[in-house]
Amino acid sequence: MNIDIVIIGCIAVLSGLYALFNIFGLVGLSCGIAVMLTYAILLRLKPKKSQEKTTFQNIRFKIPVIFILGAIIWVVAGKFNFPVWWQIEFVAFTLVGFAFFTLLDWKTLNVEKKASTWIMRLLATYALASGIFITVTAQLPQFDPEFELAKLNRPPVKLSGLAGPEVIAAGREIFENNKCFNCHKVFWEGNSDRGPNLGTKQIGLYSEDYIKEQILDPRKKQAPGFNDPKSVKAMPTYYADDIEGDEMVALIAYLKTMRDPTHMPVEGKFPNQWTWWDDPEIIKQGQTVFEGTEPATEGLNCAVCHGKDGIPMMTGALDFRNENHKDTDKMPDHIDDLLKDWPDALWYRRVTRGVTGSPMAPWGTIFPHLYLWKAEAYARTFHDPLDKRTAKRPVPPVPTKEEVEKWKTDELFLDPLL
Amino acid sequence: MSQNSSKIPLLKSILCLLIVYLLGHVSPFLPASHNPILSNLSFQSLAFAEEDDEDEDEDEDEDEEGDEEGDEEGDGEEEEDLSYLTDIGPAAEHEFEEFSFMGLSNRKFTWVAAQLHILFASFILGCPMFVVIMEVMGARRTQGVRKAIILSNVFLGVLIGVVIGITGEIIIGIHHGVLYGLWACAFGALFVSFLNYFHRLMGLRGSAFVGALTGTILAIPLTPVEHYETSGIILAIVNGAVGGLLSNGIMFANADYKFERLSHEITKVIGICYSFTALSGGLFLLVMLVAYKDFITYLISSFPMLFMVGYPTLFILETIVMYIYVYSWDPLNKANKKGRHIVTGVILNVLGLSLLVALDGPATFMQTPPKPLDEIVNISEWAKIANAGWMPLNYHRLVGNGTFGGYMVCIIGAYMYLWSDKSEEREYYDWVGYIGNIIGVAIMIPLPAMGYIFVREIYQYDATIGMYIMSDRESMFMLVQGLLVGTMFSASNIYMWVSMKRIENAERFFPAMKFGFVLIVIAATIWFTPRRFFATMLPEPGMNPDMVLPDNLAFLALMVSKNTAAFCLVTVTFINYIFYTIATKTGKVAYGKINPIGPYVLIFLGFSDIWLMSWMGTIRELSRMNWHIYKVFKDVTPEKFAPSLAESGFHVTTIVWTFFILMTAIIWIGIKYPKTKKKETEPSAAAPQMAE
Repeated sequence: MNIDIVIIGCIAVLSGLYALFNIFGLVGLSCGIAVMLTYAILLRLKPKKSQEKTTFQNIRFKIPVIFILGAIIWVVAGKFNFPVWWQIEFVAFTLVGFAFFTLLDWKTLNVEKKASTWIMRLLATYALASGIFITVTAQLPQFDPEFELAKLNRPPVKLSGLAGPEVIAAGREIFENNKCFNCHKVFWEGNSDRGPNLGTKQIGLYSEDYIKEQILDPRKKQAPGFNDPKSVKAMPTYYADDIEGDEMVALIAYLKTMRDPTHMPVEGKFPNQWTWWDDPEIIKQGQTVFEGTEPATEGLNCAVCHGKDGIPMMTGALDFRNENHKDTDKMPDHIDDLLKDWPDALWYRRVTRGVTGSPMAPWGTIFPHLYLWKAEAYARTFHDPLDKRTAKRPVPPVPTKEEVEKWKTDELFLDPLL
Repeated sequence: MSQNSSKIPLLKSILCLLIVYLLGHVSPFLPASHNPILSNLSFQSLAFAEEDDEDEDEDEDEDEEGDEEGDEEGDGEEEEDLSYLTDIGPAAEHEFEEFSFMGLSNRKFTWVAAQLHILFASFILGCPMFVVIMEVMGARRTQGVRKAIILSNVFLGVLIGVVIGITGEIIIGIHHGVLYGLWACAFGALFVSFLNYFHRLMGLRGSAFVGALTGTILAIPLTPVEHYETSGIILAIVNGAVGGLLSNGIMFANADYKFERLSHEITKVIGICYSFTALSGGLFLLVMLVAYKDFITYLISSFPMLFMVGYPTLFILETIVMYIYVYSWDPLNKANKKGRHIVTGVILNVLGLSLLVALDGPATFMQTPPKPLDEIVNISEWAKIANAGWMPLNYHRLVGNGTFGGYMVCIIGAYMYLWSDKSEEREYYDWVGYIGNIIGVAIMIPLPAMGYIFVREIYQYDATIGMYIMSDRESMFMLVQGLLVGTMFSASNIYMWVSMKRIENAERFFPAMKFGFVLIVIAATIWFTPRRFFATMLPEPGMNPDMVLPDNLAFLALMVSKNTAAFCLVTVTFINYIFYTIATKTGKVAYGKINPIGPYVLIFLGFSDIWLMSWMGTIRELSRMNWHIYKVFKDVTPEKFAPSLAESGFHVTTIVWTFFILMTAIIWIGIKYPKTKKKETEPSAAAPQMAE
């Protein structure tokens, strides 16, 4: 019988350790082994005869320990950048631990001699349980039911007679109501990185048909970096039934606003993300745009002036091979940075708005910006070839609410609706 | 003899005919396409029925033609107004009416009635499972009892097989894990019980081996998979071994009268609770007819066969069997026919579970009606019952009711301990609390997995509901759920700690147990940690948008961390349970000498369990948002919104208090009061003996 227990125990322990290793890697495995060793050591300790403690004896060491522990937790949580509410939560649970251990060592209660004693204790038990549950539910963050009621009472979206900004606002409401924020962030807004951040990915650069297809048939083309089995099945497939007609038009109008004039689009799942600067597939597509073979940008051929192999064909054209090239001084927003250090926003401005008094036209008014970003990603490879890069360009921080507002006030977009 | 032998085939023939007749008539309730054998059984009558239908169709066609002719003749005249045929008078203009009484509205009245009904129903479903197991444990192993144990072992094998199988299906991803588990465990239990019935043929190891072998051999062909996977076969082996081990253990367990007494006492309470279930069910229906009459009419008429035939039949049968079970206890004991009583108990459980499964159909239909929704009126009643959420909710409620039963026994034990004066009575009820806690904890361990399965199915059906629960207006509700689960596991472990203090030589486990308690607090903290400290998906007016965990720390709020925390809670509880069991086997347990805080911990635990159950019911109901039936029947009443956390918390507490007040009275009337009466009558009965 003993050998059976030993075998079953070994299987259980090994399965547990394997599961921890699978989920958390070596850290999980180490924690599992540490816990097991601690148990083994504690079980070998010589038993002490448990003695009744007075209330004072019970808490005299616990109180200072808990204060020190609480302070350590507060500081460590702060160092890890936990917001203050989480610091409070962790310290509160330290106090819960204090209550827990104080209860474990509480002296034995007196046996009830009178009915009134057990009645009082019984009522106290119910009061304690009810008190905890009522207090917790009352003190946790609340919502105002009226807000949901107002939302529910709103009529369905009808676009007839609505102008651009109102359509976009209606689209945002549909985005919210269908809980898209649960998986997709939009720049700083939203909750999780289960799906791409539609702001930093700049879904608004894509065509309406493409966006619609992604909503209706999300399995058809998976976002780069979201190819793991869990992500592949994450996006529901029932939106074709749920979002129809005007609602779909409004939703796409809202999604089309998701653009960033200051950064290259970002791909991949947090924290393993990259920008288009380092995306071989995008660079390959960018080459077709640059060389004038992309059907979607028929009429655009950067190589005519800048050269197919990067050797400028026209005087004054930017030589992409020279990483120390300076920005043109023909433009009022000229900066002193060398080509290798140009911010993304400058690349974007020069290509979309052109250079005054030069053949560099404002291509952004003619061609979809999606392709212009791709062409820029390719152009950079002339002075910074992809195969010689030792590190990827850092992923820019997610733009804040203020920054997004500023793009509009600074009129960084060409589209008046953005 | 000859007469008897001729009678038996006659009886059998009549029975067979009855079954064939019933199958033929029940078959419309099942989908015809999936039921070719049954439809063939009554082929003849169906053929006639089809002819009749055709005749009727022809008649109707003729009538229609006649009407058309009449219309043609009547051209130019005013169309006859036939609306009087369908006009029901002023009631047709009836609209939703709001009621309010002492702060309770339509929704809150319904909420109270539904919740009370479910709590009592859970009692009469959960406790009989517990009672039959206890009765078996307490019964002397006569030949009849051993026969009955074969049946009860198979029943237990089915339940345990389903639980292990579904856990394997979810955690390891074994296709048809439930079927592997169910068949292997049930057949393992059947074979081992059957072989051991004649003689103690094998020990524990032998039983495990035979159970694993027979269970696996039968489970493999019975499980419809295209390719056999090693993981599935291993699951079958494990389940077969578990079935064999359990059967052996139960078949040869030493009968202990304490178990018999425990099960008998709980049965008395079940009898009274049964009446309360019916009363609260009636109340619920009446409230619905006033508060949401349109909806309840629609729901009931969506399940005509279920509500006209299935539900009443099961309910009546269960009532009859329940009363037979309660009132035949003493007579069958005296007649030395315990085995028959155990069989009645198993039948009672089967009927109870069937009732649960049947009513889960409409309950889940409200949440996950079969798609496409445009076809909802054309699909069969069976398709409506067997919707996406049906089986997961069945599993969840099966396990949840088992836990409920265990903790209700804890409460009964604790109450009776407090109400007892004699030391032997206190010893006994101290032991009852111990048993209740063991059963409650043991069944609670797979409960998180069952809840996970249910929510996963909801996510697959429509992620919007899942998001509403996990990330939107119910996210803080789920946080409270995490807190409750942590509280329950903590209370259960505290009870084990308190219990172990009255066991000789149990001190050697205390340092390790204290380390376990540290892990429990850490796990509870992780479970409680939310992604954000505002109660909706996006901050609404008046909320602080900065209360969000940074991306690099967000993993603490994701399922991977929550699952690890749950795993930790379960593992520590399991380890403490092992310590507890070793301590009881190696040291003397001073029953009746438990620290007086023990019974209150049990009551706290039971209160938390029932509060949590009510809370989860609230979450499930609210997750449909402003729909009575999700995307089929809209709630257009003024109370279509989700109530706030504070309001819900207070209301649930009120309901649980009501339940506890009623239960306290029921326990008193069912167990304590008869004892008091007996005590009063004892001296007079004893007097003549003393005179002798």
